[in-house]
Amino acid sequence: MMTAKKKIFKIVLLLVGAVILIGGGIGFYMFNKPARDVQSTKTDFYYQASEIVEEYLTDAEKADDKYLDESGNSKVLEIFGTVAGISEDYNNQIVILLKPADDKAGVSCTFTAATNSHTQKVKIGDKIVIKGVIRSGASYDEDLEMYENVIIEKSDIISNK
Amino acid sequence: MKKINLFSVLTVLLISLGSFSVTAQKLVSTKTHFKFFSTTAAEDIEANNYKTVGTIETSTGDIVFSVPMQSFEFEKSLMQEHFNSKKFLDTKKNPKAKLVGKITDLSQVDFAKDGTYNVEVKGELTINGVTKPITQKAAIMVSSGKVALESKFNITLVDYEIAFEKGKPSTNIAKMIEITAKANY
Repeated sequence: MMTAKKKIFKIVLLLVGAVILIGGGIGFYMFNKPARDVQSTKTDFYYQASEIVEEYLTDAEKADDKYLDESGNSKVLEIFGTVAGISEDYNNQIVILLKPADDKAGVSCTFTAATNSHTQKVKIGDKIVIKGVIRSGASYDEDLEMYENVIIEKSDIISNK
Repeated sequence: MKKINLFSVLTVLLISLGSFSVTAQKLVSTKTHFKFFSTTAAEDIEANNYKTVGTIETSTGDIVFSVPMQSFEFEKSLMQEHFNSKKFLDTKKNPKAKLVGKITDLSQVDFAKDGTYNVEVKGELTINGVTKPITQKAAIMVSSGKVALESKFNITLVDYEIAFEKGKPSTNIAKMIEITAKANY
């Protein structure tokens, strides 16, 4: 009788211990979860630069709803376009602007420390495809008195033809 | 007839010169750094944003910054997800924060002369869809014709209806956070 009780107690103790370990493990993993690797994430949409700009200028709210994610893991896009500008941001990341000459806004693509070097051969006028995650859309800002570009980050070049 | 022609040519010239100088005074910056810093006994949390666009109108002192909120990057992705979530900044609904302000003591700044000018910027800050008046100190740096701005100020999260009601994030994030803004025009 006593041994049966002891056995049950042992099993319960083991189970509780296992739950704590698994729970703690999941908690620890969640807390230290690495950021999503955009380049290894499946592309959600393929567009020409002017297509997504036009979609945003037509209805920004609808476009935000389609592309932005509540937790910040927004849609991964591949954008085809003509290089209109190459610059560097405050964090020494390369920024390539894809924009047809007569469009009001373009798609501004920011590379990373790891992908910066892939842009070395890119020239103004090149037609390239860039993959990255969307952060915000294009719109006319009345206070800035200018059009803002679609912003994509964590970029890399998919093809350079 | 000749007189009229000369007059009209002069008028056109003057108008075009005038409009040129007006547009030339608005400087644009895409080389920016916005930092969010929160400190509590539990932990320090920092996030960086390099995608803000800003303008400064040197003739009027008007300053504008448009901040794409999803471009804030945290060391831990879980924090970034909390930051973007509906409970915190709801960046899907409010993808941009905005500062529209004016340098109150513009006469102290000489954009043509190298130096550091300490100014006060007064205006409105919109975060999470909530607009509040703001007055902050900033430094305008002029060096060989290049203009830069730096500012550090605190914001109280509840003012912008940003608050976790319960759970871990509410105790790990300070009630007041420090924002550092830098822009090269």
